[in-house]
Amino acid sequence: MASALARPLITVYSEKNEKTGTSVHLPVVFKAPIRPDVVSFVHHQMSKNRRQPYAVNKDAGHQTSAESWGTGRAVARIPRVRGGGTHRSGQGAFGNMCRGGRMFAPTKTWRRWHRRINVNQRRFALVSSIAASGVPALVMSKGHMVHDIPELPLVVSDKVQSFNKTKQAVIFLRRIKAWTDVQKVYRSRRLRAGKGKMRNRRRVQRRGPLIIYGEDQGLKLAFRNIPGVDVCSVKKLSLLKLAPGGHVGRFIIWTESAFRALDAIYGTWSSPSSEKKDYNLPTPKMTNTDLSRLLKAEEIRKVLRTPNKRPVRAVRKLNPLRNVRAMLKLNPYAAVLKRKAILTIQKKHLDKQEFLAKKTGVPLQKTKQQVRYEQLIQKRKEAIQKSKAAKPKTAKKAKKAPAAK
Amino acid sequence: MAGIPAHLSWAIIRNNNAFLVKKRNIKKPFSTEPSNLSNLASFRFNGLIHKKTLGVEPAKEGKGFQLVWKKTRNQHKLSKLTNKTTMKAGPRRSLYKLRRFIVKNGYRKDLTKAALRRASAVLKSQRPVPAKKNRPKKTE
Repeated sequence: MASALARPLITVYSEKNEKTGTSVHLPVVFKAPIRPDVVSFVHHQMSKNRRQPYAVNKDAGHQTSAESWGTGRAVARIPRVRGGGTHRSGQGAFGNMCRGGRMFAPTKTWRRWHRRINVNQRRFALVSSIAASGVPALVMSKGHMVHDIPELPLVVSDKVQSFNKTKQAVIFLRRIKAWTDVQKVYRSRRLRAGKGKMRNRRRVQRRGPLIIYGEDQGLKLAFRNIPGVDVCSVKKLSLLKLAPGGHVGRFIIWTESAFRALDAIYGTWSSPSSEKKDYNLPTPKMTNTDLSRLLKAEEIRKVLRTPNKRPVRAVRKLNPLRNVRAMLKLNPYAAVLKRKAILTIQKKHLDKQEFLAKKTGVPLQKTKQQVRYEQLIQKRKEAIQKSKAAKPKTAKKAKKAPAAK
Repeated sequence: MAGIPAHLSWAIIRNNNAFLVKKRNIKKPFSTEPSNLSNLASFRFNGLIHKKTLGVEPAKEGKGFQLVWKKTRNQHKLSKLTNKTTMKAGPRRSLYKLRRFIVKNGYRKDLTKAALRRASAVLKSQRPVPAKKNRPKKTE
């Protein structure tokens, strides 16, 4: 089984979706750790950087010379507009609760609109999203219709870079089977929900494939009018395009020169990047992330203790003084004592009844059990006497017999 | 090529993907991806992350079902990834064939029951619906 860090050969496809003879080794970027948390964080920070400030007029609500009337006038103490002769006079002013007053905490232009992100974090996020774009499961889960494309990552010959007609671009996308993704964009065109409609953000649509090129020889012009398709140079990759929405797994179409440039731009683990100063790919925390294989691996199994298939559960403690079985568990002789006690009581009861019966002369009506018990005792006595008589009498036994009872 | 192992992908995707469907008052979310046998969003049933996946769909002609499964080699060549066979024979035979396929090939044996269930459900839906008897109207 090839290791997770093996680098397979990716075939380059012509613009007609035929295999050209060339193939490229998968750039090591695609093996970088995929960290959706980092990508999400960096994306959210980055997306704040395109914001335009908004604020309320700094004079708003203060262009009056209102003053409070003070107490004693049977009105609220809010500052009121001076003068007379108009509706406005005597109205409350300045407060956020007043009509025509300034708002609470008026928004300022010097709000911190932009965010800086550490360079290494930015690069980490970028590298993660490139890696994720090479995983079919992740790209499909993002919703891109990539069932019929020849290979992922999709690398196409450099001829694409010299397209300058949209027609050529469309034919290319059709041949490569990326057109279904574009069709999905068409079908997803709708009006935005909410007030954005009246704020020049009326229409919304899905994102389609991203085309990353090495050199623009007209490519941008060809692809720019196709809805959903974005175009990007390898040298200027942007997280906002690689992980739109902060989610990894965009469908990317690479041109051959772009693909080959990746190793130089991001480096491999053994050699640092030649384009970026002092940069090397992030090292993953786990080299082998296949959990199911790890759990079945001999090296791990050997060190584990045997599985505890029957965990001992805590049992409720029962009071032996109240619960017979708990008592018996601790002291089995308790059964004997109890039985003895019960039988003694029964015997005493019976004796009393017999005594009374004798006294009153009324013959006692014995229960069946009592009768049988008496019979049993009789039988036993006879049996014992019999066995005693049957035994040969030795000197020892003769001595013991009188001592016993 | 092991590629990205299933557990990693699942950790990335589980709460956040295009096929996730959450409904009110239902704790476990559904999933609409094509090769999911139970339509539930779960690691085991997900149709995208695993190396081997099973899909059971109704056959296009309207009779029988189609079994879709992933080839184990060349997982990144997407157009050549899936194999399909249609099972058109009667229900007993098709289900038998389905079960044989899964068990004898050892292809995701943990999904046998789910696959059989789904196939039976498909076949049942293709049977003509029994006409309802017209109940005589009760006179008051």
